[in-house]
Amino acid sequence: MKKSIALLLVLLMAAAAFAGCAAEQPAGPQEPAPAPEAPKPAEPEPPKTTTLTVVTSYGGDDGNRQNFQNAVSEYETLTGNKVQDGSATSNEQWKAKVMTDFETGTEPDVLFYFLGNDANPFIEANKVVSLDEIRAAYPDYAGNMKESMLVPSPADGKVYAVPSTGFWESMFVNTKVLSEAGVAVPGADYTWEQFLSDCEKIKAKGLTPVAVSLQEVPHYWFEFTVFNNGNSANHLDIPAAATDATGQKWAKGFEDLKQLYELGYLPKNTLTATDAETVQLMLDNEAAFLIDGSWKVGFFVENAADHLDDYKLSYVPGKGERKATDIIGGISMGYYITRKAWEDPEKRDAAIEFVKHLTSDEVVSRFVTTEVTALKNGAKPAGLNVIQQSAADMCGGVTTLVFPVQDLLSAEARADLFGNVKNIVTGGKTAAEAIDAGLALNK
Amino acid sequence: MNSPLYRKKWPLLIFLLPAFAFLAVFLFYPFVQNILNSFLNISGLGTAAAGFNEPWYHDYIKMHSDPNMATALKNSLIMTGATIVFQVGLALLLALLVDRIKLGAKLFRTIYFFPIVISATALGLLFNLIFLYNGGMLNQLFASLFNTAGNLDFKSEKYFLATMLTPVMWQYVGFYFVIFVTGLNNISSEVYEAAELDGAEGLKRTFYITLPLLRNVLCTCLVLGITGALKVFDLPWVMMGEGIPMDKSWLLGTYMYSQAFNRGDVDYASAIAVLIVILGVIFALVSNKLFKQKDY
Amino acid sequence: MAAKAKHSLTHIRRQKLPQLLSYTMLTFWGITTVYPFFWVIINSFRVKGEIRSDSFSIPWPWKASFTLDNYRVAAARADFIKAYTNSLTISLLVTAAVVILAGLAAYALVRYEFRLKKYIYGLVVASMMFPVFSTIIPVFRMEVVLGIASTGKRLLSLLSVVLPQIAGNLSFSIIVLMGFIRSIPVEIEEAAYLDGCGPIGIYFRIILPVARPSFATVSIFAFLWSYNDLFTQMFFLRFPEERTITLLLNEISSQAGVNYGLMAASVVLVVLPVLLVYVLLQKNIIKGLTVGAIKG
Repeated sequence: MKKSIALLLVLLMAAAAFAGCAAEQPAGPQEPAPAPEAPKPAEPEPPKTTTLTVVTSYGGDDGNRQNFQNAVSEYETLTGNKVQDGSATSNEQWKAKVMTDFETGTEPDVLFYFLGNDANPFIEANKVVSLDEIRAAYPDYAGNMKESMLVPSPADGKVYAVPSTGFWESMFVNTKVLSEAGVAVPGADYTWEQFLSDCEKIKAKGLTPVAVSLQEVPHYWFEFTVFNNGNSANHLDIPAAATDATGQKWAKGFEDLKQLYELGYLPKNTLTATDAETVQLMLDNEAAFLIDGSWKVGFFVENAADHLDDYKLSYVPGKGERKATDIIGGISMGYYITRKAWEDPEKRDAAIEFVKHLTSDEVVSRFVTTEVTALKNGAKPAGLNVIQQSAADMCGGVTTLVFPVQDLLSAEARADLFGNVKNIVTGGKTAAEAIDAGLALNK
Repeated sequence: MNSPLYRKKWPLLIFLLPAFAFLAVFLFYPFVQNILNSFLNISGLGTAAAGFNEPWYHDYIKMHSDPNMATALKNSLIMTGATIVFQVGLALLLALLVDRIKLGAKLFRTIYFFPIVISATALGLLFNLIFLYNGGMLNQLFASLFNTAGNLDFKSEKYFLATMLTPVMWQYVGFYFVIFVTGLNNISSEVYEAAELDGAEGLKRTFYITLPLLRNVLCTCLVLGITGALKVFDLPWVMMGEGIPMDKSWLLGTYMYSQAFNRGDVDYASAIAVLIVILGVIFALVSNKLFKQKDY
Repeated sequence: MAAKAKHSLTHIRRQKLPQLLSYTMLTFWGITTVYPFFWVIINSFRVKGEIRSDSFSIPWPWKASFTLDNYRVAAARADFIKAYTNSLTISLLVTAAVVILAGLAAYALVRYEFRLKKYIYGLVVASMMFPVFSTIIPVFRMEVVLGIASTGKRLLSLLSVVLPQIAGNLSFSIIVLMGFIRSIPVEIEEAAYLDGCGPIGIYFRIILPVARPSFATVSIFAFLWSYNDLFTQMFFLRFPEERTITLLLNEISSQAGVNYGLMAASVVLVVLPVLLVYVLLQKNIIKGLTVGAIKG
């Protein structure tokens, strides 16, 4: 009995191994060798080469991981330097790792990281080099970027990172569900009232109007409902208390969200489902509207490849002073050069070259399909598929791009505020209470 | 132990030192750091402390008034009770049963071990698919069997406790089972033969011979079970992350993780860790007293 | 003669019912432990779209729902041999160290009486409670200072994982071994002492052989725990050539929130080698289990 179990397991392993091996043969030319391992054959070594340690979020399952690894290989060929790539998926543990590295003096030479408050600890500790300082020695550094789109750090107002690609947040729609419910695909003039009546029609058909997981990702709806109760000029204001004008604006935003919940337009299990589960509703043609970001386009391409034209990008319904075509977006991550690399004469040039290569027009264009960039000449993405084209069209109609206000809150405040969304919509807490609780944690 | 063999104490050092060196360096010292952290003001994992809390015992007061802490304590105690009854209890029962049969004993011993081999993340995936609202196994089954109108939300406030406890219970039965089986095999067959001559067999044999001889192993398993239940994290987090539903399913382990990583309140998380340790030590010492281990 | 035959007939009949019940229970539990594996394996061969709608039927190779794609994607991503080697190296080192150190410590804690004994035992229990993420950062800092962590050198990085994992496993191993060693009658050791054997000799010549199954049990658990310990590995192993198989496959499936097929394939790839090792080693454990029975 034991032997047969062992035999079965061996057979299964062999099957798995065969499947794997069979797959490796037809791997196309784009497949990079595990980056730092494969030495390039017989290359005349240029005089001073070094090993650069790099950490980015283009690891794990990031959509641009392949692009990043290709760019790194190119850099290695161009300069003869080697790259130690410690990239990993961006999540809380990754952030903790980066912070610990700075604390213990093991930070990388080049770091691709967030531009906002998340970077404050190491900026305040003077562990990265500002753009001005770099440009004093390398005048054409980041020369291909629009000055106006370089993001200053909230810590001291100086620019430290060279932006790579940005993001936008807008509304994905399932056209199949919409047509089943007799609802027209929303356009640039979509209003909140139309949206409510559309949701009613969809609900009447037994489908779910809005796909959202309030317990895990209420982020996007928060941004847009607050935006709907204000305008692009004051969107980035942070209230001092729930009672001031901005606080009341936020409270109204939460009320709108609560209204959607009470009208039954959200998934029945929105308070216990994960984001993955509710997005699945879109894939299963059970839900019509999903607010998400540019990164989600790749998700649809991968998971809905056989019915990609059922999905389109449209605009979040507008109210009051906000037009539907005013959307949330911006650039949130960029390349930092650490002081550790800067002060090491061997590494300084290598680091500069690396960032230059990865933020060059050509490379950035590969990462981008429809996202915002700071490039002066704009990105030139090629070969857009049907949903990417829809996204590009949507971006083409954008009137204002506003940074998300939640990024200006501290991580603690943000987590607390969003953790209370489920309490607000069920009446356990008032919006004002939740706002005050969150603000109390905002440093 | 008054055996003359063990009167001289110097070999103690050789035996204990290596293990304790490891424990001291890699566990005790960092935990002392952790205790210290619970008095400081740290707002992000990995970032430096920004001075002491005001007042320095701020986090401990917070624990008192935090409703989620009360929930976490309650749930962890429930989890501990369930562990004792289901994990240890069921494992003991299964081990006793397997000990009695001849045919298939080896097979059962092998396959009962399987759940432990899979990582908690993989198990979480499996159970999530069983309990999934849209198209999970149970809902599919119910739909085809009973033709019910809607899906059951197994993570809703009605069912979440069972949904959270079941996978954790199931996963670790095999662990205690293997320990019990090993313990049972340490009982020599001669003891049983002698007992049989005296006319004790079946249930009598179990209660009067086997269980008493298993006492030490039983005590070990209880200690492990209780301490494990207090700090369990992996599986509950994958299935019921962030206390869903509505902050009702927090456990001490998951709440601490959430505070450290998602809320960035590292000092509070450290304080919770201290609480977990204190509770664990108390419970372990109490169960040791109750089940006074016998030396032979 | 007839009386004896009659006695044995009723004897058999009396035994049949409990036996039947036993088998029923055991089989039932066996199904629950094997089925998840079966489920994961069949779903790793299933086409992506079908998993949620129909995850419980068998995708025979001739059916449309069969696919090797999941394995293809997983295999194309990485250097498997290296990852497996890393995993095995780490886990085997951890297991060896834990078995040696824990055995020594457990023996001393059971047999010797000394003043601080209760406190040391309390410390061991306490160290079992420390959650791994409360100690990970100070350990990381310490290893950086010692020049072990974050060096970019593969062997050192593996070592940086091995050390904290040894410590993490020591406490529970000590407790389990204490329970088993306590069950060994001390008379054998006293006899050996009279023959001129000191405690160290006794440990190696008597305790180790007699408690072999217990050591085997502990080593399996230590190996598994180390193999599946995602968190420590994630924190210390940054570069591709140091990554373990669990880390690798976790990365591949981490954001594939809905790609259950890929996740199932990842689970299979992680779990199968370990299962294989366990099934093959079973022979040794079973043999050890019977040899370990104390004679006389």
